[in-house]
Amino acid sequence: MSNKQNLVSKKNTETGSDDSHALKVENLSKIYDTSAGRVVALDNVSFTIQKGEFVSIVGPSGSGKSTVLNMIGALDRPTRGKISVDGIDMFSMNDSEIATLRNERIGFIFQSFNLINRTTVLKNVKLPGLIAGMSHDIANFRAMKILEALGIDDKKDQKPVNLSGGQQQRVAIARSLINNPSIILADEPTGNLDTKTGDDVFAMLKNLSHKFKRTIIMVTHNPELAEKSDRSILLRDGRIEKDVYH
Amino acid sequence: MIPKRKKMNPRDLFLLSFEALVDRKVRTLLTILMVVLGSSLVVVLNGLSAGQAAFLEQQFNTLAANVLFVGSGQRSLSSYATSTSNSITINDVIVQKLKTLPNVSDVIPEYTGSVQMNSQGNVQRASITAIDPSKLSVELPNVQYIDGSTIRAGDRSAALVGDTIVNPPGADTAFVTLGETIKTTSTYSDSSGSHTVIKNYIVSGILKPSGNTGIDRSVIINLDAGNELLHKQNKYDQLIITATTPDDVDTVQQEITSMFGKTLGATTPKALMAVRQQAASGNAAFILMVGIIALVVGAVGIVTTLYNSVTERIREIGTMKAIGAQNAEILALFLVEAALIGIIGASSGMAIGMVAGVLLGILTTTTPTGGGAPVHIPPIYIPTDLIKVWLLSLGLSVLAGMYPAWKASKLSPMVALRRE
Repeated sequence: MSNKQNLVSKKNTETGSDDSHALKVENLSKIYDTSAGRVVALDNVSFTIQKGEFVSIVGPSGSGKSTVLNMIGALDRPTRGKISVDGIDMFSMNDSEIATLRNERIGFIFQSFNLINRTTVLKNVKLPGLIAGMSHDIANFRAMKILEALGIDDKKDQKPVNLSGGQQQRVAIARSLINNPSIILADEPTGNLDTKTGDDVFAMLKNLSHKFKRTIIMVTHNPELAEKSDRSILLRDGRIEKDVYH
Repeated sequence: MIPKRKKMNPRDLFLLSFEALVDRKVRTLLTILMVVLGSSLVVVLNGLSAGQAAFLEQQFNTLAANVLFVGSGQRSLSSYATSTSNSITINDVIVQKLKTLPNVSDVIPEYTGSVQMNSQGNVQRASITAIDPSKLSVELPNVQYIDGSTIRAGDRSAALVGDTIVNPPGADTAFVTLGETIKTTSTYSDSSGSHTVIKNYIVSGILKPSGNTGIDRSVIINLDAGNELLHKQNKYDQLIITATTPDDVDTVQQEITSMFGKTLGATTPKALMAVRQQAASGNAAFILMVGIIALVVGAVGIVTTLYNSVTERIREIGTMKAIGAQNAEILALFLVEAALIGIIGASSGMAIGMVAGVLLGILTTTTPTGGGAPVHIPPIYIPTDLIKVWLLSLGLSVLAGMYPAWKASKLSPMVALRRE
């Protein structure tokens, strides 16, 4: 961790970025060349997200909200532009360094949970820690603490497939937290849940943001949910149409 | 630059791979079965080939090094049979001529045939060899007796009996004992029809097992007695020529060829051994190739299994990458799966192959024509060969896992996560 902090401080000095910025997106464009021609998925998008902010990215289908989330998660590279996480320009790095950045600084929550069903809840939660080379004892301790905080520690030995949708999403949230990431990216986290469970999961994310000062970026097509977050960025045709603080 | 993080613990990688294999039990077992079949086949074939080679060597080691076997006509090395199209009658004139050749120290004539033997109401067929008993040690330098001793020259009523004639396999009591009489019946045909010759012989010596099945299932009698019993009319079946030294054997063989051309064939135990071993090696190489093809088929099974696994687990691979797994870790994950299949398959294949080889050796035990003890060729497993087969199976398995593993490691996480 000390290495990481040193690195961030060094990078901040180098780039002159503000320490309160968790994420800085600058002039981001993504153009796909398809058989039907060029498709501009993102067109010169820029925004900054402060540490501890809970931001929703909303917009109709094809507006570019998933594309921007994929870029922030370093799952895809932009055609132009720059994204800095903790002051680190992620696309100046090679694939291996990007994988390390994803592991250490970004937590993912997927709409369909993406848990490994053949193994236990506990092992699913521990997995990013184990990938990071964390010892079993530490990974166990941290995973159990998080599962306790999310109220599903009694499910630790069960297979995710045997849990309800809400419980599975909590496991996914727990997994996203194990390496204490700078940013949590949630792609339609309530999309596969009923209204009540969806509200519970949303409340849990909000609690994480407000109580534990986590930076959360959530993609949703639900405007009501977006209004409950700290800030909504509305995308349309690959451009920011509105950036509203609630 | 971001500092390199610690590597994932190999134990965790192994457990993840193991769990993935266990999750697809049936498919994993079927894939392992393919490797088992391939490696066990190679082990069986290798073991049986080594056993056969050792058996042949043992057979020829019982023969003296300075002897040549001479028969009528061109001698075929591969079958040790004679062709009668270009032959002469081997009689005392030929024997005397051969004795005049340089580097020849002795020429020993022999009659051979097959007879039926009766002793105390029991009957069995046996090979018979008639030879001057004082020259027996030339053909069988290591001859030893369980009971009794050699027959006296000129004694037409005495016989030496091989161990497996005395103790036929499966019999509770001896067929004949020292001093007892055996009644032998030989048949021959001439222009006047078929005739039977019956003679009695007293067992004067019982030979120790020599390892040479031909000798162990033979009865040995005096040369003249053989001439009578087999109605050979002084026409010898074979001559044993002793060269002055083992180094002269080839020279003597050339001299015989230059003197008699193709009408008399001569061969040496060494040449016979070389041809048999060459044939055995060729055979072994062929069957080993069959085994390796089976292993390659097993490897193709691994490619199919792991490729399907990559396709089925594409979202899982995407998730693993999203949460920070490196390409090398994804590659290792699938290679460990391939290696596990290889290790389990190769190890089981070794064990099954060794047991199957022993069983096949027993099941293929054959009784030689002319009677005598069944020939059992046990497989021989050479540790270095087993290690080579194990490593080959494992290597092929890992090699087979390379492409699916590489494909998985190169998947774009975004593409993988989008896949349903």
